[in-house]
Amino acid sequence: MITTAASWFEKTSLESQVLLLTWAMAEVHVIGQIMGATGFSESSLFCKWGVHTGAAWKLLSGVREGQTQVDTPQIGDMAYWSHPIDLHFATKGLQGWPRLHLQVWSQDSFGRCQLEGYGFCHVPSSPGTHQLDCPTWRPLGSWREQLARAFVGGGPQLLHGDAIYSGADRYRLHTAAGGTVHLELGLLLRHFDRYGVEC
Amino acid sequence: MAAASPSVFLLMVNGQVESAQFPEHDDLYCKYCFVYGQDWAPTAGLEEGISQITSKSLDARRALVWNFPIDVTFKSTNPYGWPQIVLSVYGPDVFGNDVVRGYGAVHVPFSPGRTAVCENVCSRHKRTVPMFVPESTSKLQKFTSWFMGRRPEYTDPKVVAQGEGREVTRVRSQGFVTLLFNVVTKDMRKLGYDTGPPDTQGVSGHSPPQGLPT
Repeated sequence: MITTAASWFEKTSLESQVLLLTWAMAEVHVIGQIMGATGFSESSLFCKWGVHTGAAWKLLSGVREGQTQVDTPQIGDMAYWSHPIDLHFATKGLQGWPRLHLQVWSQDSFGRCQLEGYGFCHVPSSPGTHQLDCPTWRPLGSWREQLARAFVGGGPQLLHGDAIYSGADRYRLHTAAGGTVHLELGLLLRHFDRYGVEC
Repeated sequence: MAAASPSVFLLMVNGQVESAQFPEHDDLYCKYCFVYGQDWAPTAGLEEGISQITSKSLDARRALVWNFPIDVTFKSTNPYGWPQIVLSVYGPDVFGNDVVRGYGAVHVPFSPGRTAVCENVCSRHKRTVPMFVPESTSKLQKFTSWFMGRRPEYTDPKVVAQGEGREVTRVRSQGFVTLLFNVVTKDMRKLGYDTGPPDTQGVSGHSPPQGLPT
């Protein structure tokens, strides 16, 4: 019965799916900004970001990933991106609460990019505005690779981006700390009380 | 609209563009405009404005104050596309040309908090917005643009409120603008939205680094 209902649902038009989803399901709006970053050794920084959710979540509006501008700060050491995030999810379950994963890169005057850190943070689970500080780490290689990175640049990177937000294969890694990414995320929840969910 | 089941909620924003901190620049004016999604429409007030030109005060604070009012009301069916205020600050360069000194954008705050009496909710927020300018890639371009007074600028400042297309821009952040907002919403709770607990402190956002007037 459930499988036939699900397959029926998938066959309806996108507009009907959105209407059915918004009537029947709880919704989450994530509205905020990736403000910037501090504590990195390089100063011209940009950030590639993405949002990962579980299977019960559907993105209704908004872009799931992006890349910020490259900022070189003149005052202080915080690089400012002010990158807007506006996501609208509908969800059938609490598992797989959205996680924001970040990669901070630096760009030198020749246009070459070097990885400065990976980080992730969960989208907050209580409604309202939140200031988030996301710590970052970067993979260290062997001492040869570290020496090469100091002189030539480059350095090891992750092959698969999901190690940033999942703990599965982390035990293989040896990492060093990077700086901190600052985010301001606001959360709006809809119909959560209908399902008895307390946030 | 039936009071029992509204389909539209209202967001009223008022406040001011209070002041700016730009250590290296003086004689600045500011333009603001709002960027919002397709489900939003302004119903009252002004969506754009240009402030007066302000100079740094002669006292030790060296403050740049505009105290420029903002007053606008939006209606919407969907929080997606929540309005952002986009600021552009301009000032004269050494040759007297009007050049851009910074762009910045911030979302209008939500209005967390509720009173026991009414469905309308209110709260007050301060936001410090970092301001950045696009930068030329080569030193020769930088010199030419300084000399000719034609600095790199965005053809449409609203691009600062979007995420797409920003990955190719190189910018330099060089100042801050402080905004004060009061936000009132109507019928968000009736539509099922929960905007969070009351925030009565009223101060948030990143403050500028040490040494600058707040």
